[in-house]
Amino acid sequence: MESRTKDLLDQHMRENYRKTSRLFSILLGAQWVFGILLAVVISPRSWAGLASATHVHIYAAVFLGGAITSLPLFLTLTRPESQATRLVVGVAQMLWSALLIHLTGGRIETHFHVFGSLAFLAFYRDWKVLAVATVVVASDHLLRGIFWPESVYGIADPAWWRFLEHAAWVVFEDVVLVFACFRGIEEMRSIARQRAELEKTFAELERTHQIVTRTEKLAAVGQLAASVGHELRNPLTAIRNAHAYISKRVMKSDAASDARTVQFLGLQEREIHACNRIISDLLDFARERPLDLRPCPVRPLIEEAFSIVTGRDGVSLINEVPVDLPVPALDKGQFRQVLVNLIQNSVEAMPAGRAGTVRVTAAMDAGRWRIGVADDGAGIDPELHAKIFEPLFTTKSKGTGLGLAVVATMLKRHGCSITLQSEVGRGTRFEIELPAQTPSAAAA
Amino acid sequence: MKLGLRSRGLVASATVIWLCAVFAGTTALMRYKNAAGAQIEPAARWPTDSAVPRARGHATLVLAAHPHCPCTRASVTELDRLLMRARGRLQAVVLFVKPRGAPEGWEKSDLWTRVAAMPAAKPMLDVDGVEAHRFRALTSGQTVVYDDDGNLIFSGGITAARGHQGDSVGRGLILAALDGARLEHARAPVFGCALDTPENGGTP
Repeated sequence: MESRTKDLLDQHMRENYRKTSRLFSILLGAQWVFGILLAVVISPRSWAGLASATHVHIYAAVFLGGAITSLPLFLTLTRPESQATRLVVGVAQMLWSALLIHLTGGRIETHFHVFGSLAFLAFYRDWKVLAVATVVVASDHLLRGIFWPESVYGIADPAWWRFLEHAAWVVFEDVVLVFACFRGIEEMRSIARQRAELEKTFAELERTHQIVTRTEKLAAVGQLAASVGHELRNPLTAIRNAHAYISKRVMKSDAASDARTVQFLGLQEREIHACNRIISDLLDFARERPLDLRPCPVRPLIEEAFSIVTGRDGVSLINEVPVDLPVPALDKGQFRQVLVNLIQNSVEAMPAGRAGTVRVTAAMDAGRWRIGVADDGAGIDPELHAKIFEPLFTTKSKGTGLGLAVVATMLKRHGCSITLQSEVGRGTRFEIELPAQTPSAAAA
Repeated sequence: MKLGLRSRGLVASATVIWLCAVFAGTTALMRYKNAAGAQIEPAARWPTDSAVPRARGHATLVLAAHPHCPCTRASVTELDRLLMRARGRLQAVVLFVKPRGAPEGWEKSDLWTRVAAMPAAKPMLDVDGVEAHRFRALTSGQTVVYDDDGNLIFSGGITAARGHQGDSVGRGLILAALDGARLEHARAPVFGCALDTPENGGTP
């Protein structure tokens, strides 16, 4: 939050520097033109009897004015945000004040250019610019007081401190302007803080909106899934039973000698199994079953999960859960489903034709259980980490995209968290952390 | 915006060069502004052959002016202020020097109009600078003040620099003399255009 406030303040300050520099690029150019016009109108020529020549003020306006304008104009156009630009502009404005005073014949009114310039310079909201400008004014009066005292003070032998008197009036305005600068910056900081808070609130609102939208969508999908699953389960059970009966009869008949018949019966069985799994996933995802928490030893639960998982040749399932692991309270049915889905996912993560190992570990640390399911399979692309627990997301050609979504839903009901570590080509490790609870009983 | 080291070096170098150039230009301008015009000592007594009317009962100020000298605008402004401060103790005549060969009406510049509008001063045409020579004026803005008895009490300029309004040594000395200060013939530098053409020694 503070960091964002600082970023926004920096951004506002840079924008202010850019705008003020743009203003000065126009002002500096306008002053130059104005200075030349002044010289042309007020003192176009110097005279000696009937002879005349171009007045020195014309050269001063064109060349000295051009010189004063050149560097700050270049910097305001090319480096509008730089502090060097601001300081050079501060010096140039005071030099322009001095030149305009000369070009107007020392008119008292022109001296207000100094104070007007200081007010303009305060737009930068940088006290250093005002300080530099004041040093230029004081130096101008000090040097002219030393070399041409009458031109500044109107007397031939002024007191040495007279330049301080002039500078003091400039400092008086500086004090007001510096105060205004700091106040302006404080207001900008306050605006930046408010904007940062607004951004944060808006982001939270956006996130909440996304969650609500997703939840609504998932609820609709869930209802549909539950309905479809429920409607399909009974016919599928009938098909499976019929298939089992027919298979048994066929295998005892002469048709069993027909290789194609046996092959097709096997195909039917696999596909019926696949359909059943899809329906189970849908129902697991959609059903809002209340938790039935009971002491549930982890190691035997893993063994049960191993027995349900469809294995693959060359893939070893290893249960490394300590026998004496304290017993947590779990909804056995739901948590077993979690483990089945994770282990099945790990088994299927093995590249085809390659041997591998799926290792399940568990430990207790500071009152919390940590259960890990790790494989040495293909790993998961880092870009997919955030998506794999989303419903209907799958990278498998025959997947439903519900396995890990079911895991996430059920773990959430348990108040558990799940983390993922994966490296492409090295394998994946899911780690479930159970909330702190008192162990229910000794290990089974 | 953070500048790179090389870029910062370039900006710093450019700034130093810029400051030097601006300082040199300003110094040159200041030297010009503070370069006094030519002056010679005027007569200690009011020139008897002068046609300029001398005030009776108080001091008379004579200011020689080039009608078109821009620097003399400041002298006329200061003359106006001086006469206001003098409150009737000073009568002024401004000699507008018209060189031979100048066209008709050449002397009727804005300066003439301004002087004509002043209650305690009057403009006077000085063809070929005859009167200016009597008062030994070489530079526009040259001012002489004679007291009631015709004694010179001040000569010089009444501006602080060339074409520069504001307090000046000359104006201060004249006011001090009018206030009764016993000053030996007070002098101040004069700043303005030359009254004579170059062939006669003037420089524009």
